[in-house]
Amino acid sequence: MDPVNPWLDPSEVRHLAEQLLRPVAPVRLSAADHGFDESFVGFTSGGVVHVVPEVKMTVEPPPLSAAPVSPPTPEPPPYPPSHILFLQRIHIFRDWLAKNFQATDIFILDREGKVIFDESGHGRLHFMARNLAIASRGSGNIHVKIGPAAILELIPCETPYGHIVLGALVPNALPVGHVQTITESLIQTASPA
Amino acid sequence: MCRASIHDYTALAKGRRKDFRCVLPTVIFANSLFNRRVISIAISSQKGGVGKTTLSINLAHAFARAGLNTLLVDADPQGSVGLSLTRQSRLLAGFYDFLADPSIPMERLMIPTRLETFALVAAGQASDYEAGNSSSGSHLARVRAFLHNAASRRYDICLIDTAAGLFGVTNDIISSADAVIIPQQAEPLGIRSVPKLLEGLNRLRITNPRLNVLGVCLTMIQHGLAESTEAASALRQLLPEEMLFQTAIPRDEIFIRASAKGLPVGVLEDGRGAGTVFDSLRAEVQAKLARSRGASTYQPH
Repeated sequence: MDPVNPWLDPSEVRHLAEQLLRPVAPVRLSAADHGFDESFVGFTSGGVVHVVPEVKMTVEPPPLSAAPVSPPTPEPPPYPPSHILFLQRIHIFRDWLAKNFQATDIFILDREGKVIFDESGHGRLHFMARNLAIASRGSGNIHVKIGPAAILELIPCETPYGHIVLGALVPNALPVGHVQTITESLIQTASPA
Repeated sequence: MCRASIHDYTALAKGRRKDFRCVLPTVIFANSLFNRRVISIAISSQKGGVGKTTLSINLAHAFARAGLNTLLVDADPQGSVGLSLTRQSRLLAGFYDFLADPSIPMERLMIPTRLETFALVAAGQASDYEAGNSSSGSHLARVRAFLHNAASRRYDICLIDTAAGLFGVTNDIISSADAVIIPQQAEPLGIRSVPKLLEGLNRLRITNPRLNVLGVCLTMIQHGLAESTEAASALRQLLPEEMLFQTAIPRDEIFIRASAKGLPVGVLEDGRGAGTVFDSLRAEVQAKLARSRGASTYQPH
C-alpha cells in the first residue's frame, strides 16, 4: 500500500511547495488601496526604521461655552435571523459597519491570530493587528494612524466563540460610544442562535 | 565571555586540520557569497523527533570546519543542543533569557568551543523557556535584535534549532530568518504532516517575503526498512526536485554515541563517514544560497 498518497492530495502539496519556491511578489502599497503612504514606518523593510522626531503635544483649553459634542451613535445592525450561518451574519455586520462608520478593509482574527473573516487581503495588516492586540491585551480598543486618512481601529471582543479581534480602516478614530456599539453588535452577531 | 565547560571535541578536531585545506575553495566561495553578513537559517519542522537537533549540531559543525564563523543557537525549549554539547546547559543564560531581557550582553550568551569558528548559544533559563508557547509576533523584535547582535559579532552563519511546530517563538524566528531547512523523518506519519508544514511556511512568507525555503532534508532513513525507503521515495515523487536536498541523513547508532559523548558526529574516530554526509549537506546549502542570489524566477516542471 502506498504509505503517503492516500493520506494527502499530491496536487495540493505540489502546489504549496511550488509556491514556496517562487519569489514573493512585492506588496504594492497605494493610497487608492489602503491609504498607507511611504511615511508609514510599520511596513519599512530591511530592519531599519527611521524614528520620527517626537512631536510636542499641546493641549488647547476647551472653549468655555461649548457643550461637549459627541457624534450620534448609529442604530445597531438588524438582528440576524437565527437560521442563517455565522459567516452570513458577519457579512450583515460588515455591511452595517461599512455604511455607518465608513469602515473599509474589515477583518476579524480569532484568539490565535488566525483570520476568520477578511476583505483587506493584506497579511501585514493582520500581522500588525496581532502584535498590537497582544501588546495591549486587556486594555480595550486601539487605534493607530497608518496613513494620511486612514486609522487602523482594533476592537478586541469576548464572544461566545472566544476572544476575537475586529480590525478595520476608518477615516477618523472612533469615539468611545461608537466602539461600545460596535462591540455589542459584534457580540450579538457572533452569538449562536 | 561565558566559559562553560564544553566537551573536548575540538581537541579531536585539531587532528583533522588537513580538512581545512581540502575545503579551502569552498571557504573562499562562501565568504564572498556571504559578504561578511550573517546568514540566519532556521532548522524547523512541523513534527518533533525528526532529528532536528542532530542535523543542527552536525551541520553547524560542518560549516565551522569549513572555516565559516558559525553560531549555533538552541531555540528549542527542550534545550536539546545544550544538553547534547554542554554539561552545564541547565545553568547557562541563553536565547530565551535574551528574549526576556535584551539588555543581556551577547558575550554572556555565547559559549565558545575549542574550534575557533564555532560557538553556541544555549536555550537558557528564562521563565518562557519551559513554556515556549507565547503568541506569534510577541518576540519578533527581540529575535531580530538577537540576529542583529550576532551579525555585529562577525558571524558568517547562524543556525537556529527551533522547537517543533510553526507557532510562538518558532514563528518569530522563521519570520526573521534568511532561510529555513526542514528536516523530515522518512516515515509515513511524518510525511503526512508535510501539507500542514508547507501551508504554515507559505503563511510565514507573507510576513517574511525574503525567506528562502532551502528545502526538505530527509532524516532517519532506514535502508533496511521498506516503509522508510518507500516513504522517502514517495516524498521525492511528491515534491519538486528543488524542494528536496539530495543529501539524506541515515538513522545510525553513531548519532546516539556522538550525543552520549557530547560531540558532533564528525569528530568521532569512526565518524568520518557520517561527517561526510553533513559536509555534503553543507555544500548543498551553500549552493542553494548562491543560486537564490542569482535566481530570477522559479519555473515549475
